[in-house]
Amino acid sequence: MVGLSSTVPLTKQQQTEITRIAIKAGQLLQQHGAESRLIEQTTTRLGVALGAQSIELAVSADALVLTSLFEGRCITTTRKVHDRGINMQMVCDVQRICVMAEKQLLRAADVNKKLDKLKPMKYNRWLVVLMIGLSCASFSHLFGGDWWAFAVTFVASATAMFVRQELAHRHHNPFINFAVTAFIATLISSFGVIYQLGNRPDLAMAACVLLLVPGFPLINAVSDMVKGHINMGIARWTAATLLTFSVAAGIFAAMGVTNVMGWLS
Amino acid sequence: MDLLFLLVDDMFWAAIPAVGFAMVFNVPKHMLVYCAVAGAIGHGFRTLTMHFGLPIEWASLVATTLIGFIGLYWSRKHLIPRPVFTVAAAIPMIPGSYAFATMLGLVEMNSGGFTYQLLQTVIENGLKTLFILIALSFGLAIPSVLIYRGRPIV
Repeated sequence: MVGLSSTVPLTKQQQTEITRIAIKAGQLLQQHGAESRLIEQTTTRLGVALGAQSIELAVSADALVLTSLFEGRCITTTRKVHDRGINMQMVCDVQRICVMAEKQLLRAADVNKKLDKLKPMKYNRWLVVLMIGLSCASFSHLFGGDWWAFAVTFVASATAMFVRQELAHRHHNPFINFAVTAFIATLISSFGVIYQLGNRPDLAMAACVLLLVPGFPLINAVSDMVKGHINMGIARWTAATLLTFSVAAGIFAAMGVTNVMGWLS
Repeated sequence: MDLLFLLVDDMFWAAIPAVGFAMVFNVPKHMLVYCAVAGAIGHGFRTLTMHFGLPIEWASLVATTLIGFIGLYWSRKHLIPRPVFTVAAAIPMIPGSYAFATMLGLVEMNSGGFTYQLLQTVIENGLKTLFILIALSFGLAIPSVLIYRGRPIV
């Protein structure tokens, strides 16, 4: 793994620059939802490719600590990590830059410039609203609902996704966001039960809140724990559980308002 | 023949949420089709194995192991980290309804008082959620745990 470049002497200034670049890559990965093993591997590979002898990284839920070593000299730096939402395109791009640096196609300054230039790509929000509406409607079909359940789920979850985007855009706390969104989705879909639309209107109530399942954090949590990052796994699991709980609170409040218990019976 | 129709229907309707959630995760455009295919294969395979009597937890493990290996091939081919396709593909199998039923049971137990029926709801749904989730993510991790032990895949 250690590149040829490790024999080239590094000045203290160069080593500092490499340390900063490696942790910037790690920070970008963690902010956009990469699992801990990937963060650790990518920062280590990037640092070594740029000339450090080894890189040690401590991953925690809201900060990264990274030390680079060269001929007995250690440089350590820390960065806060703010969650910026899951974005796989950013993860792909950081990974690609790391691979290019490893093949010695980029120098440290180029890597830095490329990392700074990365911009998170976002899909058109109306397209996402449409697709999430269809996704939850597909779930209602998979549960065995008919076209009425499909239609009710589509309207409820597309509206809910719109609300979720609006609240996220205004930087509301995710727990509040999820609770409000679940409330609205359940409220809309409970009309299906009130007017007895189709064969199983309760399935629409169950399916329309599935856009709020924190699937990515839950999978990352278990996969972190399997690969030895128990701390990170527990942190992610706890965050996902709290999100699930706020969704349940939203559903419960809506059920209290309409007095339709739906699928919880 | 009925089974074939069931599978095709199942795979088609599982591909849509795989793409929908891949878009929420901002998976690059040209990778969306891989998410759809992996999501369809995974969910279809789970339905097939459950049809032959495998319990849902083991079926989820087998299905995500399959997705994990397919993802391994694609990830080495396109030099892209595996979670980019595999997590979106596993999303249709996430036990969301079980998870919410567990939490709702807890909320209800607080506001409406304790009953053994509620406790049963909470424990049964909670255990289902837990075991299916562990099976799902463990299945995805199998290629890197068994074959690429400690080595990077791309």
